[in-house]
Amino acid sequence: MGHANGIKTQKISRGKKKKPSPSSRPRKKASLSYLQSVIDNLPVALFAKDVTDDFRFILWNKKQESITTLPREKALGKRDHEIFSAESADYFREVDEAVVKRGKIAEIPEEIIDTEEGGEVYLRTVKVPIQDSETGHSLLIGISEDITDRVKAREQLERLNQNLSEKNRELESTQLQLIQAEKLESIGRLAAGVAHEVKNPLALLLMGVEYISSGIDPDDPNLEVILSEMNEAIERADQIVRGLVDFSSDRQLTREETDLQPLIEHVLLMTRHELTRGSVKVSAKFQKDLPKPLLDSRKFEQVLINLILNAIHAMAESDNASELSIKVTSKTLDKVELNEGARTARRFRKGDTVIYIDVKDTGTGISKKNLEKIFDPFFTTKATGHGTGLGLSVVRKIVELHDGEISIRNRLITEGAHARITLVAPRRDG
Amino acid sequence: MFDNVLTYQRYSENTIQMATKVLAIDDESGFTRLLKLNLEKNGEYEVRVENDSSLAQTAAREFKPDVILLDLVMPGLDGGDVSALFQGDPLLKDIPIIMLTALVSQGETSEDAVAIAGGRPVLPKPVKMETLTACIHEVLDAAAE
Repeated sequence: MGHANGIKTQKISRGKKKKPSPSSRPRKKASLSYLQSVIDNLPVALFAKDVTDDFRFILWNKKQESITTLPREKALGKRDHEIFSAESADYFREVDEAVVKRGKIAEIPEEIIDTEEGGEVYLRTVKVPIQDSETGHSLLIGISEDITDRVKAREQLERLNQNLSEKNRELESTQLQLIQAEKLESIGRLAAGVAHEVKNPLALLLMGVEYISSGIDPDDPNLEVILSEMNEAIERADQIVRGLVDFSSDRQLTREETDLQPLIEHVLLMTRHELTRGSVKVSAKFQKDLPKPLLDSRKFEQVLINLILNAIHAMAESDNASELSIKVTSKTLDKVELNEGARTARRFRKGDTVIYIDVKDTGTGISKKNLEKIFDPFFTTKATGHGTGLGLSVVRKIVELHDGEISIRNRLITEGAHARITLVAPRRDG
Repeated sequence: MFDNVLTYQRYSENTIQMATKVLAIDDESGFTRLLKLNLEKNGEYEVRVENDSSLAQTAAREFKPDVILLDLVMPGLDGGDVSALFQGDPLLKDIPIIMLTALVSQGETSEDAVAIAGGRPVLPKPVKMETLTACIHEVLDAAAE
């Protein structure tokens, strides 16, 4: 056919329109050709449907050919149902009718067409209902942009993101399992120790029961001693079992913003008896305007009580004057410091406000060999009955569950130990 | 010899019975205190207690026990160390030793079971007086043979 690729001419040739007058034909043909050239060189797909003629395609530019992999010869004069799958065609028709009915430009941000050669192609399409003033026909212009690459990239990104989330969840789950496994392993290792620590008081109780069972003489002066020993044995067994239960208990914490000064003062009150008995001079210093870390106060008090009791014990064994100093300070990290003692990755980020709780004593300090083991469950340097060895392992667990760190070192200049707990103030960036 | 003089105790009006000398080496002072009270209750035993294992050898040399009750888990020298020390001591090597332990052991299948470790009986804690005294009698009989 001699006409240009324009659809209009095609439609006209179908005899639906009055033929143009012979005199006007060359100029019109020229302008149509010019227009067709413009249309074909557009970087977007352009098509038009004749609404009046059952939405048959009357325009199909080159870009539309390449996107749909369908030459215009096979599209022009056809309806969506003759070109696309029934599902797609139904959808297009529904949208087209809605656009025409509304009489306004409509954007379809994402639609899919099945193409013969290119598979699924994603399009962003703008549909414009117009009225051909010349023919009076109602037309629907469509301008489509191939967004397949963008959609695929987005989908890939979403997949990666999902993968990342899954990996993250897996990691979290693995970490929880590790904590649980470590806990179970510890409890396994603890079992023999606990049995030993509990069986000793039980042995004493049995001895007491046997003594009493063989006949009670109310005047027996031993009776009071025996009952007092038995009472102590029950308390000791109870403490050990409680310690174990605490160690193995569910680690869910109830944390809230906590003012450290009253908490520490409360701890000092609770340990006052031991401090007094050990003739320990106590100093507690608090920096002004300390941030409030998120703490489970009850559990955190346990951490400090443990550290203080350890300090008292270490100082009782030393000839030095017993002095316990507690200092709470805070600072904003301008760099992340390396901590060789920490087993885990650094918990703190540059810009975090951290709180240091430093507990120093003037005790015997810790030997280099023991420093490596002090956080191991049931490691103790104390004689049987004077500590289960659970204390510091529980301390570390609790500190870690508060997203904090604990390190224990010997003091550098004077004799004694220096425990430092590092906590992070709540991050305000969410 | 003067230091070989045995301790005698008036057991009844007509019988002079030699009390069995028991040295209990255990860091659990409460346990040893009650053990001593129980064993000495009817005069059959004379018990000396040593809660510091580093002084066990001296105590044994001084006391010259017929039988030694030795705790396994102690700070400093443990039961194994003390046992080895006695084994190498000509004055102490023939004294029978009964090990006591609160450790869970395979031999502890029933409360009356007596495990044997290194040729020595090992009694689990808590131990009934009946089991303990039966074991003392057994090791003394075996030593006398």
